[in-house]
Amino acid sequence: MLCYKGWLETRFKLLFTLGFVCLNLSMMHSYSSNIKTSVLLFMVTLMSQMMVMLACGMLAGAGINTQPTFQAAKGLHGSTLFTLSLPVSRLRLLTVRACIGWLESVGFSAAFCCAMWFASPLLRAKVAPFDLFKYALTLIVCSSAIYLLSVLLATFLDEIWRIWGTMIAAVALGWLSVHTYLPASFDFVRAIGKNSPLYTHTMPWSAMAFSLALSAAFFYAALKIAQAREY
Amino acid sequence: MTDLIIETNQLCKSFKDKPALCSLDLQVPVGSIFGFLGRNGAGKTTTIKTLMGLLHADSGSASVFATPVADADRSVEIRRRIGFVTEDKELYPYMTVEQIIRFTRPFFPTWRDELAQRYMELFELPPKRKIPDLSKGMRSKLMLLLAISHQAELLVLDEPTDGLDPAATEDVLREMVAIAAASGTTIFFSSHQLVEVERIADHIGIIHRGKLVATGSLDDMKAQYQRLNVVLADSVSPPAHWPEGVESVRQEGRVLSILASHNVDAIVEQARAIPGSTVERFPVTLTEIFLEHTRSN
Repeated sequence: MLCYKGWLETRFKLLFTLGFVCLNLSMMHSYSSNIKTSVLLFMVTLMSQMMVMLACGMLAGAGINTQPTFQAAKGLHGSTLFTLSLPVSRLRLLTVRACIGWLESVGFSAAFCCAMWFASPLLRAKVAPFDLFKYALTLIVCSSAIYLLSVLLATFLDEIWRIWGTMIAAVALGWLSVHTYLPASFDFVRAIGKNSPLYTHTMPWSAMAFSLALSAAFFYAALKIAQAREY
Repeated sequence: MTDLIIETNQLCKSFKDKPALCSLDLQVPVGSIFGFLGRNGAGKTTTIKTLMGLLHADSGSASVFATPVADADRSVEIRRRIGFVTEDKELYPYMTVEQIIRFTRPFFPTWRDELAQRYMELFELPPKRKIPDLSKGMRSKLMLLLAISHQAELLVLDEPTDGLDPAATEDVLREMVAIAAASGTTIFFSSHQLVEVERIADHIGIIHRGKLVATGSLDDMKAQYQRLNVVLADSVSPPAHWPEGVESVRQEGRVLSILASHNVDAIVEQARAIPGSTVERFPVTLTEIFLEHTRSN
């Protein structure tokens, strides 16, 4: 039933995100005539990064806080108190909600890659299907760190600030990556950009592993905050 | 010795160095309807939230069903046996009445659909209506339905009738009494409404500035507390000191009004010893007891 609650909380956000994708894909379709492969790959990776970051920001949640912070600060916790009165541990509340959003973002990434493939004849002509599959997998794993960061933010920020926080963190990571401040083997932003399987034809395993480790750390921090918080 | 369903020992909780609960020793007997009274900010909701594991006590201990609430793992088991109505009666705004019932049901193995159905009809709750479109009274009734349909052993109700119109208040109170009578459920509820507390509660706790200032069975309290009206003879002054048990003394002209919490016979004896005086004893209301204990200082 927590899954049901998670689905009700995210369904319109998922729709909104998918709507954004359709807009981008239609642009991609109209631009896909006669451009260089390098430009095409740059467009594909940039658009994927943006779309996945948007999905991470929109779909993440901690499953506990439902009330804006300014109201919570006044002691008005709203339906949060009802959630916490259920015979469920905060670990389960957080895990289920995080998993729902993560599965949606996984589905979103996979669907986005498939949709790009069908929307762009040029992509079909210039990229091998297996490379695109590897890219989708990389996208899913490397974006999980951003997703779990958004989950962490959801334990103490309300919706709007959490989405902004996630976007700002994603842009900051992109900036660090562009300016090569991050070691290449750990740079999971570059792993879905210039170092992605679309360019290198190999999986960026170390960056993926680093992203997963970071995700675990963010989840652990989110859990500790959720367990310690008072309402 | 009476079995206790809720027990706190020296429970303390502060918010930014402002004490909310100070050495609270609360005991709620199994099967009682316990009215938890206090003025705004006295510590009622803080106590309830601590019992529900929503706040962590600074010191002292609290247990429900003889299980410490501070133990996060075991508090899940406590909550399975409790029905809780929150102070603001907020539920998920994106659900309808029937969706929230369908959502809540699987968390409680003891849930009974026929009970939920009965209360849906009794409270006239529209199943398809979204929760934000319900009035506060309807939301209170819906929360009560969710709390009682799983046959909770303990109902914890934070201001269950707050904001309700008289008809809705009557419905809620009647059901509370019916539940307690039918299934022996213990009801622990906070309220400002002294008249309704007096109507349905059999045990009382009065909290003031985070301290429990009076507690016990309502009948015992009413038997112990008495008001004495002493009519003094002309030019006779009242004694400067009274025996233990005198809570307050007020004088209007020749009439002394004394509120006694115990030791009433000794107080009456002293009053009768005043030359030319006459003494009358009156029972007191819960309101008088409450006001006496919650006046500042």
